[in-house]
Amino acid sequence: MNDELRLAGELRERIDGLFGRSLHIRTFDSGSCAVCESELRLLSSPYYDLHRLGLFFTPAPRHADLLLVTGAAVRAADAALRKTLEAIPEPRLVVAVGACALGGVFEEDELVHGRVDDVVPVDVYIPGCPPSPLALLHGLLVATGRLEEKVQALSFDLRREAVA
Amino acid sequence: MLWFLRGLRKGVVTTRYPRERDAWTDGLPSPPAFRSDLLTPTLAGRLVDACHSGALRLEGDELVLDLGSCGGCGDCVRLGGEAVYRSGEFELASRDREALVKRIPLGGAG
Amino acid sequence: MIHAAAVLLVVGGGLWLGAALLGTLARERAGLLVTAGASALGGAAVAAGGTLVAVHGSGAVHTVGAGNLVGTVTLRLDPLAAVFVAVLGLVALALGLYVPRYHEPGAGSAYYLPALALAFFASLVVLVAGNAVVFLVAWESMTLFSYLVVLRHHRRPGVGRAAFLFLALGEAGFALIVAAFAILATQTGTLDLAGIAARSGAVSAGWRDAAFVLALFGFGFKAGLVPLHIWLPEAHPAAPADGSAFLSGLVLKLGVFGIALFGFELERGGPAWWGLLTMGLGALSAVLGILYALMERDLKRFLAYSSIENIGVILTALGGGMVFSAYGQRAIGAFLLLAALYHVVNHGVYKTLLFLEAGVVEHATGTRDMDRLGGLIHRLPASSVISLVGTLGIAALPPFNGFVSEWLIFQGLFQGFRIGSNLIGILIVVAGASLALTGGLAIMGFARAFGIPFLGMPRSRAAAEASERGQPLAGPGLLAAVCVALGVGAPLALTVLDRVARATSGIEIHSRLLLPQLTVIPAHTDFAAFSPTYLAVFLLCVAAVPLLIYLAGRPRGARRVVPVWDGGILDFRGTMQYTATTYANPTRVTFEALYRPEFHLERASDDPAGRSGPVHYRFQVLPIFERFLYRPVVRAVEWLADVVRPIQSGDVNLYLLYVLLVVIVAYLIYTY
Repeated sequence: MNDELRLAGELRERIDGLFGRSLHIRTFDSGSCAVCESELRLLSSPYYDLHRLGLFFTPAPRHADLLLVTGAAVRAADAALRKTLEAIPEPRLVVAVGACALGGVFEEDELVHGRVDDVVPVDVYIPGCPPSPLALLHGLLVATGRLEEKVQALSFDLRREAVA
Repeated sequence: MLWFLRGLRKGVVTTRYPRERDAWTDGLPSPPAFRSDLLTPTLAGRLVDACHSGALRLEGDELVLDLGSCGGCGDCVRLGGEAVYRSGEFELASRDREALVKRIPLGGAG
Repeated sequence: MIHAAAVLLVVGGGLWLGAALLGTLARERAGLLVTAGASALGGAAVAAGGTLVAVHGSGAVHTVGAGNLVGTVTLRLDPLAAVFVAVLGLVALALGLYVPRYHEPGAGSAYYLPALALAFFASLVVLVAGNAVVFLVAWESMTLFSYLVVLRHHRRPGVGRAAFLFLALGEAGFALIVAAFAILATQTGTLDLAGIAARSGAVSAGWRDAAFVLALFGFGFKAGLVPLHIWLPEAHPAAPADGSAFLSGLVLKLGVFGIALFGFELERGGPAWWGLLTMGLGALSAVLGILYALMERDLKRFLAYSSIENIGVILTALGGGMVFSAYGQRAIGAFLLLAALYHVVNHGVYKTLLFLEAGVVEHATGTRDMDRLGGLIHRLPASSVISLVGTLGIAALPPFNGFVSEWLIFQGLFQGFRIGSNLIGILIVVAGASLALTGGLAIMGFARAFGIPFLGMPRSRAAAEASERGQPLAGPGLLAAVCVALGVGAPLALTVLDRVARATSGIEIHSRLLLPQLTVIPAHTDFAAFSPTYLAVFLLCVAAVPLLIYLAGRPRGARRVVPVWDGGILDFRGTMQYTATTYANPTRVTFEALYRPEFHLERASDDPAGRSGPVHYRFQVLPIFERFLYRPVVRAVEWLADVVRPIQSGDVNLYLLYVLLVVIVAYLIYTY
């Protein structure tokens, strides 16, 4: 357990060092309804302004550090998703955004996988339908290690929290 | 030119998140939080039926909330009365998918 | 030295005659090799001879036969002509090396190779002729043998018409040239070129002007001056690759030689308007040449129009030189002559190279259409490198030869402000500006001509399966090496050309042109200075810096090799790439007023839901000169012929009546 913590800490330091001030994000729509994309667009607005945090959107996977996937991973987009991830040089991160990507909406059938981590390995999950821009910012900063995860500590049981 | 002057009048509008959270963000859609002592199995069953997203389900004597499915619509809060509250949490990102599945023990009679 | 040169030229000419005779043996492989070898050796000898004469810096005259029908037959070794002789020799050498792998032994080659060798020989005689009649006979022979060269594949569609156009316009030009020589010969009383040059100063201005204008247009037909150029884009694709190379590399230069002969030697010291006319037509040719080139998909037609453009550049420089000399700036005039000659040599080298490479491409893939090629850099690696050297040369990029000569021409033209008359100065600078426009368009055109066929993915199966085995490499490779040498060794070339310019114009500019540190100071002013040699070294060093950074900073860890990012398209096909037509589309739209293209579009269905069938799109550029210049002239001639035809009725009685009438008229004239 101590080893794991130490390794996690080292990993976070390494990621911090690599992506601390500048993270380039490449988005991929794998069958989403585009509402998550609307929320992502809002990040570029003056109110949220992702640039002040050193986050940038880039269309070129070669220039990207992070692949952000929305949608329920339709099978038709499999090959394109894999090619996009393959084109991103290491070190890289993968973030799944929205309920669809997390497997919370569609069951697996012949048209969709239902969850993005069936196709590519995911580093951070951002829930929401859609996640608000602030949730997205939180998730991206968690991915780069600049913020801590909160949800593990939450129990959503008020009585327990009141007692504890 | 006018937009520039208007902008000067309005001042800086950018949010200071993550350093500070603006007050209005408390009203954002968020998953429910429960009073497990007030959560009866009957109520839990009604909540499960009411959830459109399938985020709530019953497993044994626990109400399972999958944050990955929840859209924050608030129907369960309106239905649940004292037992269900808006959690006000939106910082839910996690490295572990399983950590997004929360289990609430059922308490209360009936 | 001059004797050695003469011997070399005689040996070279003799080898070519021998090659012509042996050419009939080309039905067999061995005969083909022997003919090609003789041709190449002849070329080497002639190139060496020409270079020697140029280096020697002064000419010699040798009398062959005296007092016969045509007067004294003299052959002269003249430094101005020697430059063209050197180009001729180099072109012949490269073609001789190219022939064995390009042509198949057989009846066709047995007819073609002698015609080519005789065309070489006739060109040589044109350049060394000291007598006007010898010149004219050799000129006509050169035209006729070139016509035979173009007709090599006469059974293919369009070749006959192309060759006919070449011959017809060649004859039209020849008529004008004969008229020009006739005027000078009768006015000066001699048929000897040196004699004409010596006495032409005494001829009245009206006759001198007429002779020059006739010569300009007569030689302009052969040089490809707009609007006399329409045979060029037809004849070049029709001829085999080495024939096209000969046409562009040499025959066009003979036209330039003729104009230079009249402007700088036979009628030296002409008024400024001669130079302005030449410069204006040259600038027009340059701009129109490259504009039409950009609309061509056929590699050879593109190169043909590019030749028109380069000839325009050369003639602009020549014309500019004449203008400067007429206004007393004789040093700048000599400098522009030098720059023009340099461009003649450079164009001879890289245009020949590019046409030979076009032949290799056509041989390897079966098509000249750029939109059906692609990715040839993988299939034909050596040819691609050679083509790239030629392309960089013609696009005038440092440190290659084209850059040096074009830069010198610009520097010379920009001295226009030194001329007293503001109007003339402005006109010269306008000519320089149009050359700048053509330079930019030429870079775009050649990026397209190299990029579309050689880079990217193949657009057809033929391109995907091309192979370099059995393709000629020696000839083009030699020319590529010469390209680089002429660029990096520009100071050396300029030394030689300066001697030629001095012999022609009497002005010595070497000491003001070239500093001992291999630096060129163009136009002997403090305008600018650069050193092509140092520039080449500098570029090599600068290219080494990113290489060293990469080698030093390479990540040591494991490497992952992934395909090129193509947007995630799953089935990327070659036909999805840019084509030559689309690459040039911005130009087409910008200059639509000039091109006035006609469009034809056929769809399977206009209903969007039904648009899954083939779409046919055709567009054609308006051929301005054919439609508005030549067709009316041809129609007028035909109309005239129709009017006159009744005379030739076929009725013998009418003919006897004509005889009677003519006898009566002659008797009347004789008695009165």
